[in-house]
Order: sequence, then structure tokens, then C-alpha cells
Amino acid sequence: MAHQAHAYHMVDPSPWPLTGAISALLMTSGLATWFVYKTTTLLFLGTTLLLLTMFQWWRLIIRESTFQGHHTTPVQKGLRYGMVLFITSEVFFFIGFFWAFYHSSLAPAIELGGLWPPTGITPLDPFEVPLLNTAVPLASGVTVTWAHHSIMEGARKPALQSLTLTVLLGLYFTALQAMEYYEAPFTLADGVYGCTFFVATGFHGLHVIIGTTFSMVCLLPHTHYHFTSNHHFGFDAAAWYWHFVAVVWLFLYISIYWWGS
Amino acid sequence: MAARLLLRSAFRAATTCLYLLCDSDVCLRLALFCVTSGIPTDEEQATGLEKVILKATKEGKDPYSMLKPKEYAGTKADPHLVPSVTNKRIVGCEEDNTAVIWFWLHEGEAQRCPSCGSHYKLVPHELPH
Repeated sequence: MAHQAHAYHMVDPSPWPLTGAISALLMTSGLATWFVYKTTTLLFLGTTLLLLTMFQWWRLIIRESTFQGHHTTPVQKGLRYGMVLFITSEVFFFIGFFWAFYHSSLAPAIELGGLWPPTGITPLDPFEVPLLNTAVPLASGVTVTWAHHSIMEGARKPALQSLTLTVLLGLYFTALQAMEYYEAPFTLADGVYGCTFFVATGFHGLHVIIGTTFSMVCLLPHTHYHFTSNHHFGFDAAAWYWHFVAVVWLFLYISIYWWGS
Repeated sequence: MAARLLLRSAFRAATTCLYLLCDSDVCLRLALFCVTSGIPTDEEQATGLEKVILKATKEGKDPYSMLKPKEYAGTKADPHLVPSVTNKRIVGCEEDNTAVIWFWLHEGEAQRCPSCGSHYKLVPHELPH
């Protein structure tokens, strides 16, 4: 234990923020080279480095918090603020895409036929797979809340079951969306409709994958008894992120799938 | 709401299980089983700095100055007690001033704020090492 007169955590230097930044560079430039030159080397390298960073950094955090006890109350409070601010920044990220969608769809240009959906676009029926894709995040919101209450009440088995269910529902959503993307009658290149549709739903899908990963990374420590009934911030953060992802879907569904069809 | 209903029925199922086994010995063992194979509490599992702070808070102590400083009258009889791990500490007096008056407080006799005259006394502060 450090000889400090405060309850905060002065972290030791570690290479993972650097490797994370390098992986971000490699993945973005790798994506560009894949699009242009059809080579996947950089992208593959970046993804491998990302996975390494995730594994090592989160292992380090678990060691610092669960095994070394550095996450005191003020540290946890700071982490909470951090997660809230991050989710707020993500909200604004999505607001941009919704702005783009409404800008193009509220007063459709003459080149689109002056109507929305534009001439030639057959939108997806909002009452088919998209409706199922709305029930799934709503159900997973229920299961993650169930998991949270189970953890707080000290009930291990229900917590394990509900958290697993949440992860499964997340994977199911991703699978359904992937199938929808494959079967869609329009593509990203189909004018502003295709662009706004796939960019907005695509980023949402990416966030679902991130949220599912977050929940999976919570499931593993939970099986090893890391959480206590009072101190389980990793889970809290995952649950908040998951609710955020579900709410974004609701907005997407109502704006793009329902109103926009 | 569904979660609460689920939770209530799960809780009811768990408690009825416990009541059905009227044998007190079995009840105790079952209860212990639920506690030991359930989710641990902070008391059981906290370690390191978190555990030290948890124990100190239970005893009513604040070794890492997480709470607001205590209120004192600031008179000669009841000076502000300023904890310090060394023999001096900077004090910022906000008592009867429009600005914050900063000064070094040394160990020994109580000093007075150069602007409003409130009394401050350094007291040694023990850190749990």
C-alpha cells in the first residue's frame, strides 16, 4: 500500500494506452487501405493489437481494483463521472447522424423525387424483422436490470443467468441485423437514403457489439466472485452503456425505420 | 417491473424452500450455503486501501481526509484543528474574509489568520500504514 495521505489512485505507468492508440491508427488506416488496395494487413495488425490492448488493460484494471483494493469510494465516483461523460459524448455522436437523417428527409430534394423514401428505394418493412429487433433490446434491458438487482441482493445464480441472457440477446440482435444488412434491397451507395440508413444503423450495430463485449467482460469476473453486492462498478458501467444502446435503437427505429418508410 | 415480479417470485421460491425444511440444522446449513456461494459483501472481500478505509469509516475515523473538515469556532479556546502528516501545512482561511487568506501553519502554538484573526492549531495526523 502506498504511503499516501489521500484516498485516490495514482496509477503506475503502463504501455496499454499507447498500444490502444497505435491500434486505433492501424485500424483506421487499415480500413482505408482495405477499401482502396484490397489488402488487409494493416487492418489485421490493428485488430490484433486492439485485442491485446483490451485483454491486458482490463486485466490490469481488475488487478488494481479487485486484487489490490485501489478503487476506493472517491475513485469509484470519478469512474462514474467518466462513464457518464463518455456516454454523453456518444449521445452527441448519434445526434449528428440523426441530424443528417432529418436534414435530408424532412425536405427531400427534387433529385430524390421530392419525397421520402426517395424514388426507387424500397424501405424495409418496420413491422417485420426491425420490430423483433426492437423487442430484443427491450428484453435485454429487462434482463440487465434483473442482473443488477440480483447482484445487489447477493443472489449469485440469478445474476449469472440474467447476465448470460443479456449477452445472448445482444448477440441475437447482432445476428439479426447482419442478416437484415445482407438481405436489404438497397446499399450504402444508394443515395442519401442508403447513406443515412447504413451509417446510423451501422454505428449503432458497432455499439451493440461493444456493449455485448462489455457485458461478456463483466460475466467472466462475476463467475470468479469479483463483484460484491455493494461494489460492482464495472457491471454498473456495462448496464448504463447497454441501456444507452437500447435507447438509441428506439430512436433509430422510430425515425428511420417507421417514420422514414 | 417485470424484473421486480421475477425477483419477487424468485425470492418467494427461495424462502419457501428454506421454510419447508423445518429442521433448524438443515436451515442453517442451507442459509450458510446461500451466503457462501452467493455474492460476497464488501466486508468479506474488500482488500488494500479500500478495506482500510472501510474499517476506518466503520470506526468513525477519516484517515484519508475524505470528509469535509470539522467545524470549529476558531476562538482561542476552540481553535480550528488542522491535521497534518508533517510539521506544517498550508491553511486557506475563508472565515471573515472576502478573499481566501493563505498561510503556513507550523506545529506548536496556535496561529491566527493575518486578516480575520481566527485561531488555527496544527495537530499530528496518523496514517494507517
